[in-house]
Amino acid sequence: MTALALPDGVWHREALTEVKRSLRLPQFLLPTVLTPAGFYALFTLALPHDPAPGFAAATLAGYGVFAATGPALFGFGAGVAVEREQGLIELKRVSPMPAGAYVAAKLAAAIVTTAFALMLIDALSIVAGVRLSPATWALLTLLHLASAVPFALIGFGMGMRMTAKGAVAVANALFLGCSVLGGLWVPSRLLPGWMQMVGAWTPSYHLGQLARWIIGADTIGTPGIHGAAVLAMTVAGAAWAWTGWRRSPA
Amino acid sequence: MPDDLAAVAQLSQVSKRLGGRTVLPALDLVLRAGEVTALLGPNGAGKTTSVALLTGRLAPDAGSATLFGLDPRRPAARRRLGVMLQSAGLPDVLTIGELVTLHSGYYPDPRPLDEVLALAGIGDLADRRCGTLSGGQARRVQYALAICGRPDLLVLDEPTAAMDRGSARTLWSTVRDLADSGVAVLLTSHDLAEADALADRVLVMEAGRIVADDTPAALRARAGGSVIRCRSRLVPPAAALLPAARDAAMDGADLRIVTADAAATTRALLDADPELSALRIADATLEDAIAALLTPTEQRIAA
Repeated sequence: MTALALPDGVWHREALTEVKRSLRLPQFLLPTVLTPAGFYALFTLALPHDPAPGFAAATLAGYGVFAATGPALFGFGAGVAVEREQGLIELKRVSPMPAGAYVAAKLAAAIVTTAFALMLIDALSIVAGVRLSPATWALLTLLHLASAVPFALIGFGMGMRMTAKGAVAVANALFLGCSVLGGLWVPSRLLPGWMQMVGAWTPSYHLGQLARWIIGADTIGTPGIHGAAVLAMTVAGAAWAWTGWRRSPA
Repeated sequence: MPDDLAAVAQLSQVSKRLGGRTVLPALDLVLRAGEVTALLGPNGAGKTTSVALLTGRLAPDAGSATLFGLDPRRPAARRRLGVMLQSAGLPDVLTIGELVTLHSGYYPDPRPLDEVLALAGIGDLADRRCGTLSGGQARRVQYALAICGRPDLLVLDEPTAAMDRGSARTLWSTVRDLADSGVAVLLTSHDLAEADALADRVLVMEAGRIVADDTPAALRARAGGSVIRCRSRLVPPAAALLPAARDAAMDGADLRIVTADAAATTRALLDADPELSALRIADATLEDAIAALLTPTEQRIAA
């Protein structure tokens, strides 16, 4: 039935517009891009550290995931809650726009922001002496960009349920909490046992371990288990996001 | 209810509970092509809920809601719907042109951008960012978004609330033109002059039920010819027995009498209470007609 087919390019235009919007909000863009790079520079370039040759690369593995967490949690969690309170979602809901196009557009914006943050961190890591093969760089970048997905879904579900203020607070707690407990700042094997146990429930931990595996750093557990855990958490996040979209009347 | 061939949207025996309260017990409502329907009633009567059910933001607990024969919750059903909501906002950092273009892209056969902006009276504002607009301008952007997809059903929720009279009249005339070209229009408003100017049909809602469904002229006629207001010792039940009086009620400190013959009623009223003061006589308005239909506030609170 052609009458029911979507007009061409709805998803594409929605995504481009969303990216344009986020680029016009430097007060949101700059902190999410600069914070992870700043931390990376502090711990690998400025402060004295373990002189082991793999240090800068292993740190890069974790900080790349950290860089993806911020735009996803704040863009979705806080951003969606603000848009809901401002009635912007209402505007979309009465239109024939498919819900998926809205989520995909927000995801595109989060991934573009993540890409900016990654460019900075990757450049800093090269300054710090990291040398990887092109294939490893490509795989690592892909994983880092994809890390935005589970956090975006978690954030979307939050945004549809919480007030803007509540969502900002929770996004902050998850942003820092998942990163610390998931071993993105300090490697998990150096964390106390209880923190490792709690950390195993964060996507950050499994994504961080996968990133370490890609660059050949030491890991806990096998990549298969971490991949399965990330997948399961992403599916759970999708369900949380979908039920949030359905339940919210306004 | 038999199927109505001109029906573009329909609620059939719809009930809805929200927050532990029955907002709609069993509502029937039909919107037809080419007809402007005004939905009026006090706050909490169920107008917003009815609009939310017709536009797919809520699902009925029982009964059925259809939009062009489909479930309004399906995006495909909303392809021929244009909505201007009071509660909707605009993205601050996009320009009007960008926003309307994006929105037009959701529809199979949208109007060209220039035409939409001209119809909404914002042809000179295409490059302005939405965050810099006045309340009235923002409403006109909402109107542009509602008409950009050439809707066959246009839902307007308090369309002219933040507009000056001049802008409101311009908008009314474009809505009238759309209706004359066959578009069904659903209008909710607190401004009864707006309903009177635009509507072919007025639905008055109270406590989730439709208590009147008629043309504005017929409703005014039902209210009688004139409304008498005065300060008097007479109580409403006594005033209602005066010659030609149809209805009497207290309106604040005023006694308010609806009458078919103002002269006859006034003469008898002056005889009954020689000390009455602040006497005023006016033609019945749509507002008087609706006030006569609705339960007085005191009784509603007591109920």
